[in-house]
Amino acid sequence: MVKIGLEDLYSDIILDYAKNSKYKKEISSASKSEGKNMSCGDEITLFVKVKDDVIEEISFLGHGCIISQASAAMMCEILEGKTLQEATQIFEEVINMSQGNDFNKELIDGVGIFSDISNFPMRTKCFTLAWHTFEEALKSYHNRSEKL
Amino acid sequence: MLSSKEYKELFPALKRKINGHDLIYLDNAATTLRSKEVMDAVCEYSLNHHANVHRSSHTLAAEATKMYEDARERVANFIDAENEEIIFTKGATESINLIAYSLATSKIIQPEEEILITTLEHHANFVPWQQIGKIFNIRVKYYQAKNGIFNFDDYLTYISHKTRVISITAVSNVTGQVIPIEELISKVRQIRKDIIIVVDGAQSVPHLPTNVKKMDADFLVFSGHKMLGPTGVGVLFGKKEYLNKINPFLFGGEMIDKVTTKDTSFNILPYKFEAGTPNVDGAVGLAKAIEILEDIGMQNIKEHDKILTDYAIEQLKLLNFLEIYGPKNESQCSIVSFNVKGIHPHDVSQLLNDLYGIAIRSGHHCAQPIMEELGVKSTCRISFYIYNEKEDIDKLILGLKKVWEWLK
Ligand SMILES: Cc1ncc(COP(=O)(O)O)c(C=O)c1O
Repeated sequence: MVKIGLEDLYSDIILDYAKNSKYKKEISSASKSEGKNMSCGDEITLFVKVKDDVIEEISFLGHGCIISQASAAMMCEILEGKTLQEATQIFEEVINMSQGNDFNKELIDGVGIFSDISNFPMRTKCFTLAWHTFEEALKSYHNRSEKL
Repeated sequence: MLSSKEYKELFPALKRKINGHDLIYLDNAATTLRSKEVMDAVCEYSLNHHANVHRSSHTLAAEATKMYEDARERVANFIDAENEEIIFTKGATESINLIAYSLATSKIIQPEEEILITTLEHHANFVPWQQIGKIFNIRVKYYQAKNGIFNFDDYLTYISHKTRVISITAVSNVTGQVIPIEELISKVRQIRKDIIIVVDGAQSVPHLPTNVKKMDADFLVFSGHKMLGPTGVGVLFGKKEYLNKINPFLFGGEMIDKVTTKDTSFNILPYKFEAGTPNVDGAVGLAKAIEILEDIGMQNIKEHDKILTDYAIEQLKLLNFLEIYGPKNESQCSIVSFNVKGIHPHDVSQLLNDLYGIAIRSGHHCAQPIMEELGVKSTCRISFYIYNEKEDIDKLILGLKKVWEWLK
């Protein structure tokens, strides 16, 4: 097992994403989805605006540790402008990565800094919170379009 | 103050290196470390005397039964109860569920009556009452501890002629505030004699001398693993008067007297509440743990923990980047909760662990209602026991300064 150090987990890049993200805001008239980490009390609200199957705008609000906040910020950065199909693929690869399975590095370059997160099992949940919230957003989007 | 260096020797985990640092264990409110003596006692029982208790008549069975019943006696003496008033359970959680469920099914609480609990409680002393209340249509009233701090006079105003049961923790597992339980019980008894009083001693019994006769609670619960004992064993103390009156919680082997297709009559106390094969290993380990605590002396443990708690509060107060919760004074025992301003507790605990080998707890501590009172989602919590010393706190302070420098 490659041991990544604390410096990697709390690198300047991650701290910067966690603290200064332009994606940490509310988007009015976007659809909302909410995620929670029961065991830590962390919560996140994701705002997603989709037009013609493309994620036009995405942002988040909430509170949590640096890992969860940085992960949310990076997620928004990667997903903005992607089609829902691309986004789904990215989501799947990120989950593969978080579970220590093989994953497509190129596709998720933007969260590459977390590529060894599975070595910190206690923190994997923090890392995936935003992504699972996005999964919920996808589901409710598809449910809604089915009804239309 | 105890000579904690000596006690450190008895706990192998304290010889471990965490990222090259000696482990400093400050998560005793969650569970205490394992001592060699306790594990040896469990091992000796398991390897040489193990048999099912109260059933067969061979030598091993007789030995196992004696060891199990001796353990019960040790627990009873430890809190000044009678042997038949001590029920072994899985832990404080199971003990409280047993009481809540049995009181309700026995119709000792009527639908027009009330159960009073507080927002200071661990979920184990909150959710069972809330849910029993829903199932049996009994009103549950919540004492609101403003800012997470218990206020005696405020609390008493919540007691009315409808109050039938009160259940309250003796020490908050978040702020470490000690609730003046004896005084509280005596006041409640003056208001109404027949209120059933349940005390959650999970955080008090390991740290403070406990005498159920003096305390006069009707029920007291605690866990083995927070007082050097094994996990999976806990205690329910109940006054005989109530234990005889209430229905069993679990039905099955050993708890019966006579079984026919018409009906079943139940065994005498305490067996009526111990259906199935019990956790003998746990009971034997808990007895050994109590022997260790008695050898040290509960008064000495109380004073030791107090010195550390006071010292920790004093040192933490010097760090202007901290928010400390709870009374922050002499009414605190062995637990302190705080936050590093603007930094999530998980990040604090991760850095303390990786940089200094310091184990603290971060999260909501299974006590979301008090988190709401404190206006936070989670906190950092440190908690002490016999093997901790002032140097542990000094290292923690160094660690916190480093965390602040890194993440502020
Ligand atoms: C005050 C309090 N009550 C009850 C419990 C539950 O104990 P257990 O999980 O051992 O049943 C705890 C444990 O954290 C506690 O701190």
